[in-house]
Amino acid sequence: MPLRDLPIRRKLILLLLLTSAVVMLLMRVTFFTYEYLTFRRETIRQLSTLGEVIAANSTAALAFDNQDDAREILTALKANRHLVAAALYDGSGKFFAGYPAARPVTAFPAAPDGEGFHFEQSYLSGFQPVTQRERRLGTLYLQLDTGVVMREWLWGSLQIALGLMAVIVGVAYLLSRALQKQVSQPILALAETARAISERKNYSVRATKLGDDEIGRLTDAFNQMLDEIQALNRDLERRVVERTAQLEAANKELNRSRAVFESIFESLPGLFLVLKPDLTIVTASDAYLKATMTTREKMVGQNMFEVFPDNPAEPDATGSSNLRASLERVLATGATDNMAIQKYDVRRPDGVYEERYWSPVNSPLLGVDRRVEYLIHRVEDVTDFVRQKPVQNGDPDAMRIKLEQMEAEIFQSSQKVQASNQQLRSANAELEAFSYSVSHDLRAPLRHIDGFAGLLGKSDGKQLSERGRGYLAHISDSARQMGTLIDDLLVFSRMGRSEMNLGPVDLRQLADETVQTIKRQEAAERKIKWELGALPVVHGDRPMLRQVFVNLIANAVKYSRPREEADIEVGLFDEPEEWVIFVRDNGVGFEMQYAQKLFGVFQRLHRAEEFEGTGIGLANVRRIITRHGGRTWAESVVGSGATFYFSLPKNPGIKT
Amino acid sequence: MKSLRRIMLVEDNLNDIDLTLAALEEHHLANEIVVARDGAEALDYLYSRGKFAGRDDGPPAVILLDIKMPKVGGLEVLRQMKSDPALSALPVVMLTSSREEPDLAASYSLGANAYVVKPVDFQQFVDAVRQIGVFWAVVNEPPPRNAIK
Repeated sequence: MPLRDLPIRRKLILLLLLTSAVVMLLMRVTFFTYEYLTFRRETIRQLSTLGEVIAANSTAALAFDNQDDAREILTALKANRHLVAAALYDGSGKFFAGYPAARPVTAFPAAPDGEGFHFEQSYLSGFQPVTQRERRLGTLYLQLDTGVVMREWLWGSLQIALGLMAVIVGVAYLLSRALQKQVSQPILALAETARAISERKNYSVRATKLGDDEIGRLTDAFNQMLDEIQALNRDLERRVVERTAQLEAANKELNRSRAVFESIFESLPGLFLVLKPDLTIVTASDAYLKATMTTREKMVGQNMFEVFPDNPAEPDATGSSNLRASLERVLATGATDNMAIQKYDVRRPDGVYEERYWSPVNSPLLGVDRRVEYLIHRVEDVTDFVRQKPVQNGDPDAMRIKLEQMEAEIFQSSQKVQASNQQLRSANAELEAFSYSVSHDLRAPLRHIDGFAGLLGKSDGKQLSERGRGYLAHISDSARQMGTLIDDLLVFSRMGRSEMNLGPVDLRQLADETVQTIKRQEAAERKIKWELGALPVVHGDRPMLRQVFVNLIANAVKYSRPREEADIEVGLFDEPEEWVIFVRDNGVGFEMQYAQKLFGVFQRLHRAEEFEGTGIGLANVRRIITRHGGRTWAESVVGSGATFYFSLPKNPGIKT
Repeated sequence: MKSLRRIMLVEDNLNDIDLTLAALEEHHLANEIVVARDGAEALDYLYSRGKFAGRDDGPPAVILLDIKMPKVGGLEVLRQMKSDPALSALPVVMLTSSREEPDLAASYSLGANAYVVKPVDFQQFVDAVRQIGVFWAVVNEPPPRNAIK
């Protein structure tokens, strides 16, 4: 188990043990170093003392050059078993005697070298001068084996250290076991309290404070937190109670209004039945229950066709199958289905079937996803109505037959309408073909008439009389005039046939353009005072509306030709529903009794010699304005001018 | 000096042929004029087949083409010519009584080089024919011979 997961108690004990062991070890190392140094110093001192004794004893042997004595003195060193070698050198430094005697001379240092003792590996060796009354007689050499001594000393020291350590660790363990409680107890108590709260959810429990240290403060903070949690908890509980009460009130209100609606629905003065899409009955109005002689309890939750079976005495009854088909149509289309009058036999509680005639309507109740959630089956009891009707032979099916006859008639007339539509279409196509051939085939002979009349005039004109040449000119003129008439008629027919291309049209701009064009052409040498007012932007077919302005303004120019200075005004009346635009001139005018004729095809109020034209222009204007949903009319006083009006609806529902 | 180039007139109506020839004559346009009486004949001529088999005087400088003709109409002749690389370079001027928009639109979309409505007024007609003759058979450079089979 890693250290961090150990219980606090163990951690504390381990901490204390480790600390005391480390302190102990450091102390032992210090002690040991000190003892080691002391030991070495002591050994050197002992050896020099021994050396001094031997040196003092050896003076005689050296002074009298007695090697045997010297050897004997050295032999006495045997008593010290760690002394492995000793030697005496005479005053000149020559080897004099050695110990042990068996040791070859060469194994000793050849001559004394310095004074004093030194450690050398595991040996302590050195030289000691031998003197008598300040006279140097020779030198003593001693070599001590310190290895064994050192080992013995070390072993003893280690034993003491280990023993001490064991004792100290033991004492430390006992002490820490006893003392750790001071620290761990409050923490454990706190942990235990927290666990108890989280297990029992009892926020009124408080942790006991055991001291005023950090843990004590932690305990305080913990208890304070518990206070807050307890307060919050209480607040929450209070709010839950409040909310529950509100919900209950709302629920009660809901139930009440539900009951109200239910009773409203049930007392509706109509026969209503509400079904689920699987045709089980949800509810029914009281009127329905009364009409079917049943109770709500007997039908709610049941399949409609189980509650209302067909009359077994009438195996040919179609009421149920018709109703089922109608309900399925509603489910499939999501649209209301009106049924024809049906004969239903209602089963009385006594088991007898009563004849009824119902006119049912089935409608869907759509949910948010546009799927049918409920079916509403509404019926009108028309039994009395059917019975009161004078029915031939008293046949109850007569009503149905009549209905079927009516349906057949309606079907036939719709067939007729379609047929006449078809006729209209082919008539239109014929008109198209006719105008094409007018354009092509009728113009060709006119061209030939004019052409050959021209050729005749050129080749034989000189042989013709003046009158003859005049006739030729009339032939040409008439042909040309008829060509113009045909062209105008074609334009007029095209105005009625062509598709309208609708968009915003700035009438003022159209009027300006038209005036500019006319100024460049016929009005170039005329003196005309133009007055163009503000005109609206309307919704219409631009080329067609241009044609309107061209015709009206050109007319104004044409019929004011006798005036020295012509006044031509284009203006607007802004009516609530429509714009009324007018073109006014101070020309010759016309008699108001002919005003209605003006807009007819080829209708003219002036002779061609006075004013040229085919009489198609205003007919075109009327046709175009009518197609825009507007009206045309004119006012005039003979000799002082005319005003032509046309209106355009502001909110156009234009028929094209 | 330029040799006078041939003008081809495709027209079913004899009166129109007479008037057109008269108009060209009036301006002393002495070009050779070939007349085809319907579209089928025009195509036979252009392809040197049928009664024109073995013809080797090359294509005309311009074709004046009526629209409404028996057998093969002018628009069909135009369609066949313009869809055949061998004839598509030949200038074609529609010369017709029809001012109807569908005819105009069809002619141009099939590749007609010009469209002239025959005026009712004879003098205007003479002028129109003259302008066509002068422009296409004298002023205008025809496509090179090797562009036409």
